[in-house]
Amino acid sequence: MLDQGIGARVLRKEDDRHLHGRGQFVGDLAMKGLKEVAFLRSNLAHGRIRTISKPAGKEALIVTAADLKTIKPIFADSSIPGFKASNYPALATDKVRFVGECLAACIADTRAAAEDLAEEIEVDIEELPAVIDSLKARAPDAPLVHDDWSDNLFLTTSVQGDIETLAKTAPVKVTRELRTGRQCMHPMEGKGVLAYWDFQAGQLVVYTSTQVPHMIRTGLSETLGLEQRQIRVIPPDVGGGFGYKCVLQPEEIVIAWLAMTTKRPHRWVEDRREHLTAGANSREHHYQITAYADNRGRLLGLDAEITVSVGAYSVWPFTACLEAAQAGGNLPGPYDFQVYRCKTFSVATNKPPFTPYRGVARPGVCFAIELMMDAIAREVGRDPMDVRAENLVKSEQMPYNNVTGKHYDSGDYPASLKQVSELIDAQAIRTRQKTPEADGRLIGVGFSTFTEQSAHGTKVFASWGIPVVPGYEQATVRLTPDGGLEIRAGIHTIGQGLETTLSQVAVQELGIDYDQVRVTLGDTASTPYSTGAYASRGMVMAGGAVSRASQELARRIRRIAAHLLQCKDEDIRFEDREIRARGASLSFADIGRAWYLRPEQLPEDVNTMGMEVTEGYKPQVDTGVFTYASHAAVVAVDPETGIVEILDYAAVDDCGRMVNPMIVEGQVLGGTVQGVGTALFEESPYDQAGQPLASTLQDYTLPGASDLPWIKLGHIETLSPYSAHGIKGVGEGGAIAPPGAIVNAINDALKGHNVEITQIPATPERILSAILAAESQQKGAAS
Amino acid sequence: MKPAPFDYNKPASLSLAVSQLSETSGSGKIIAGGQSLGPMLNLRLARPNSVFDIRQLEELRGIQSDADSVSYGAAICHVDFEDGLVEDATQGMMRHVAGGIAHRAVRNRGTIGGSLAHADPAADWVNTTVALNATFTVLGATGRRTIAAPDFFLGAFTTSLNDDEVLEKITIPRLSDEAAWGYYKICRKKGEFAEAIGILVVDPIRGYARAVMGAVDAPPIVLDDLARSIAEAGTARDINLDQVVQQALPDANPISLRHHCVALQRAIQQVYPS
Amino acid sequence: MKSISLTINGETVTGQVEPRTHLADFMRGQLGLTGTHLGCEQGVCGACTVIIDGQPMRSCISYAVACDGATIQTVEGFDDDADLKALRTAFSANHALQCGFCTPGMLMTARDIVRRLEEPDTHRIRQELSGNLCRCTGYQGIVTAIASVIEQKPMAAKTQESRPKEATRIVAPKPFSVVATQDAPGTKTLSVSKLAMIVDSEGWTCLNQTLDLPHPQSEAWAFFEDLNQVAACMPGAQIDTIDGNDIRGHMQIKFGPIRASFDGTAQRKTDPGTKSGTLIGHGADRVSGTAADGGLTYSISALDAQTSRVSVEVRFKLTGPLAQFGRSGLVRDFAGRLTSQFGENIARVMAGESLATNAKGNDINALSLVWSVLTSRIKELFGK
Repeated sequence: MLDQGIGARVLRKEDDRHLHGRGQFVGDLAMKGLKEVAFLRSNLAHGRIRTISKPAGKEALIVTAADLKTIKPIFADSSIPGFKASNYPALATDKVRFVGECLAACIADTRAAAEDLAEEIEVDIEELPAVIDSLKARAPDAPLVHDDWSDNLFLTTSVQGDIETLAKTAPVKVTRELRTGRQCMHPMEGKGVLAYWDFQAGQLVVYTSTQVPHMIRTGLSETLGLEQRQIRVIPPDVGGGFGYKCVLQPEEIVIAWLAMTTKRPHRWVEDRREHLTAGANSREHHYQITAYADNRGRLLGLDAEITVSVGAYSVWPFTACLEAAQAGGNLPGPYDFQVYRCKTFSVATNKPPFTPYRGVARPGVCFAIELMMDAIAREVGRDPMDVRAENLVKSEQMPYNNVTGKHYDSGDYPASLKQVSELIDAQAIRTRQKTPEADGRLIGVGFSTFTEQSAHGTKVFASWGIPVVPGYEQATVRLTPDGGLEIRAGIHTIGQGLETTLSQVAVQELGIDYDQVRVTLGDTASTPYSTGAYASRGMVMAGGAVSRASQELARRIRRIAAHLLQCKDEDIRFEDREIRARGASLSFADIGRAWYLRPEQLPEDVNTMGMEVTEGYKPQVDTGVFTYASHAAVVAVDPETGIVEILDYAAVDDCGRMVNPMIVEGQVLGGTVQGVGTALFEESPYDQAGQPLASTLQDYTLPGASDLPWIKLGHIETLSPYSAHGIKGVGEGGAIAPPGAIVNAINDALKGHNVEITQIPATPERILSAILAAESQQKGAAS
Repeated sequence: MKPAPFDYNKPASLSLAVSQLSETSGSGKIIAGGQSLGPMLNLRLARPNSVFDIRQLEELRGIQSDADSVSYGAAICHVDFEDGLVEDATQGMMRHVAGGIAHRAVRNRGTIGGSLAHADPAADWVNTTVALNATFTVLGATGRRTIAAPDFFLGAFTTSLNDDEVLEKITIPRLSDEAAWGYYKICRKKGEFAEAIGILVVDPIRGYARAVMGAVDAPPIVLDDLARSIAEAGTARDINLDQVVQQALPDANPISLRHHCVALQRAIQQVYPS
Repeated sequence: MKSISLTINGETVTGQVEPRTHLADFMRGQLGLTGTHLGCEQGVCGACTVIIDGQPMRSCISYAVACDGATIQTVEGFDDDADLKALRTAFSANHALQCGFCTPGMLMTARDIVRRLEEPDTHRIRQELSGNLCRCTGYQGIVTAIASVIEQKPMAAKTQESRPKEATRIVAPKPFSVVATQDAPGTKTLSVSKLAMIVDSEGWTCLNQTLDLPHPQSEAWAFFEDLNQVAACMPGAQIDTIDGNDIRGHMQIKFGPIRASFDGTAQRKTDPGTKSGTLIGHGADRVSGTAADGGLTYSISALDAQTSRVSVEVRFKLTGPLAQFGRSGLVRDFAGRLTSQFGENIARVMAGESLATNAKGNDINALSLVWSVLTSRIKELFGK
């Protein structure tokens, strides 16, 4: 069934509606009597609320914390010892803790009128000193984000390797301080939610742009105090997620509360300014890191301190410590070494709460370890490519338990590096570098390799101590009376094409025609519970569930078909969209008709569960399946302006069996370009008072088509021994490697200028400032 | 975000626009393409009580040309320059500049007059018209007057237009066949605000030479003496550009200085290849 | 409300709109044409691109009322359009969409590229696409899809010529004499020093300026003791009440199209011994939510018996919408002009001149003079 099943480049089921403008996003929904909501947000990063005064005569149109008495704050605790949880109110109560925090919800017939209303509210907030810099926030005398805490630390963790002994003997020691910028995720559709009361069902119906509809139902139930059976969450078309839409958001709670209490439909649609200022919530890391190596650059040990500025509150359900915990756990990357010491700090700051963005912590740690790898290579005077290749875990070591106990299941990491260096012809670049460029620019080449735990299992999540731990993923498949197939799963499609790929899995198992398959995702009323689409788990987990359910359905179809065709079950073959045995054939419609409409034709021992199967799935080994990839970048740096052009870029990934190579490539390409943004463009800067300095897309630069070269892709397909069909996750990976590869390439280009970039985004200003600093240092040395 | 409420008027002529505008005592705003004003309205930063739409006034969309100059109506769109639909008085310079403004969808609606009246220091037309020594004709309640481009721009978003005045046309002195120009813009990303703009225009026949340093968060800086030195020497070899830029921008940080220096140097190089 | 009538996807539609309603909201709300998406409403992302009178434009910064009489085409239309049909097929075949949110705007721009340009290479396609943001695909599928449609298109159907290549100059113009046709640099001499401007580590913008006055120190000091007189020199400022050293007042700001009115209070402290004083204040524009903390420090020294020097430092820090932009240099330019004008006005008032005023009192428009003089000075710098 390779023409439509697993491995086929079938065209997507999602495309047609979007190509005709018939997608249904939250903002597209129409409903009689729908009220639009605008939020009044804090303009101060830190302050004590004195009063919030509603304009006279319009009190009923404005909701503040005082009105929401029955709502519980968002409370995301972690079972990791020492974690301090925060109370995150849907509307600020006593204090505001970041610019953009919601103060009041304003209700009107149009968004414009709701915004007019927001302008009439008088707010009196006593400004408090803001906690902005994560290192300063760790200082004992820093102002406190949460008054009842003793410091600003949500959590500190540590891994204690014997670095002291190694430090005495290691011939090479390299130390760096590295930083990554704070980012917004920028799905092109922002967050949005519409809620109404369905009197027939006796349910609060919440349409929300989310990656995790079932978890939102659980979260809403906990905060609203409504039973889960009284809530139905429906995710309509979702215009990108990237992690932004995988937590319960305050606005979701307020809109749901409004619909619940007024029994009228209410909607809020996030605008770009809100996203930029209140949603600046990921990627900001600081590393103090020392690597120990031998004289050939073989990594012997790593000593790191990682500080993450996680913002003001702990988000539900992923908490405020997931990022730092992941950073500490993933820093060793794809490398084979034995001594590791790492301390992590999850620091509360007066910035928006951290949400896990595509790659969660790994773009940061990959950047860090990959820059260290190049720094080691420069220190020992060897080509970074060679040093990197020698340090990677080898295929013959698989499965490999790394220094933090991660179980790498399969793959050939050095092969991916070799292939990617061939794609960009690294040899030719080295030759080209010997002659100056006609335009005066400097050419450099850089590499980056990572391994990414995808579809982390139950044990892994449980060890992070988060409130909701994913277990089995389920899917339902149903044959219709006319021979079509319906798939229902609780996960959601957010652009990654699950309607297509889950169909392909069913086609693979049943041989049914791809066009006969329909997929319903995410609706809590009709799909099995799923924790949702995140952590590159969709294809492994939901794909596995659809695979299991389809296999069971196939068994039942086989029994009926064998009876109708008067043969043995084992004679039945699913071929060419038919069910065949010994020259005779049945259509799926024949089976559907027999089960639903002509039961007198069924065998006596037929499975009475019929043509609808719900099955669950969890990989045999529960520690995650490890995707990996190597990326390579060739850049030209203009040393006079600091402007970087990516001349060539290649990525070679291994995500196990590719269900749809076209979609895999789309995930790698899209992720890679987000990684380019992380490397070169994207940043949400804050001033000392905690004011966000990027409130428009003119201030915050997203990569555009003209900022990119043709990206070359290569694949290695090493099936995971642990998952159904050998699939590994691929959603996040592309975003992880680019900062390392690109900044290594920049540093390669600038090595003759004694310049090393250690902070991303590597903006022209940062590059030029490093060049100017090196120049003045040289002048100083000369004089 | 959605704009704060405003009244909308579409006056049938420029003189009506002027008289209606003058009645608002400063709270009215002219809109043409709205490509600069629109985002500010949507963000509620611009809050006029009323706007007067002059985009479709035919009298602002024409050109007048004579032997010495070409006058462009203020409501001519960037694309009309980009696509060569209006005569280019500048040996291709205006066409080149127009093609580099923002993005095509913005150029299709945005107008040269709107961009000039908005007076964003990083805007291409602001700097180009100063480099070309354009003259602006403005119509106000008390009549018509002309303003030389360098005197028009007073600061970021600030021009010498009075509250009751509307920019009517932009007169560009013709560049001769022997003229040459260089235009170099440093942008982090295509279509974004420039970090630095360097311009050099020389016309041996007219004896004209002007250099401009733009996108300095303030009006374009005219460096006529620099331009004269280069033009009269026929080379830029002996110029200490670092020093010129440093003197002109004493408060700028080193990065900004370098950017302005490079932009100017590369613009000069386009005319005087070393 | 204004009545409008326009043609959308071949149908005549009429509606009542608020002037502030942009075209996208009108179509999405009143007409249910939700295919056009809003990605930023800042004119940047391109998701809302539609065809207005034949050309792609941003419907988020085109107001519905300004489109009265226009012909609009959106992604829901184009049923008989061969180019869009080919693009739809090519987008699907080349995986040029994932979440689909940018797709409608992307298709509008893609169609324009296909129809307008003659055989653009992928570099040119990427340049033309740079005003449409996509967060999912990495653009590669989109570029490929557009290139494939262009490839299939017969030559004759390609309508417009591409832009001529930029001429690269090889030979420099010969030396020539420059005719001094330009205006002479401003000749007015000012007693105001050039501003020095820094942003300190706490985020305060500090502006320093000195002002030499042809008045004795005591006279200058007396001038500064009169708060009403001092305030009258600050463009846009007005004192409402003075209670000892406590001042209540407001300040109108007009920064291009941006207007704000800050209501605030300030406290004055003076030291007659050192002839210095400070004004520390806080003000807020309630409508926009922008707040400012500011301070004015001045000290007056005697240069000789008849002349004195006033040193002024203005410090300010903003919070709220006006602070939340990357291009803070523009605000600093504005503040610098205010400070310069303040100094200039003091000099003029003390010299017995009256300030340019209109019905609203001292006006921000009076800023013009100083700046034109300052820029003229810069013009003079070279060649000295």
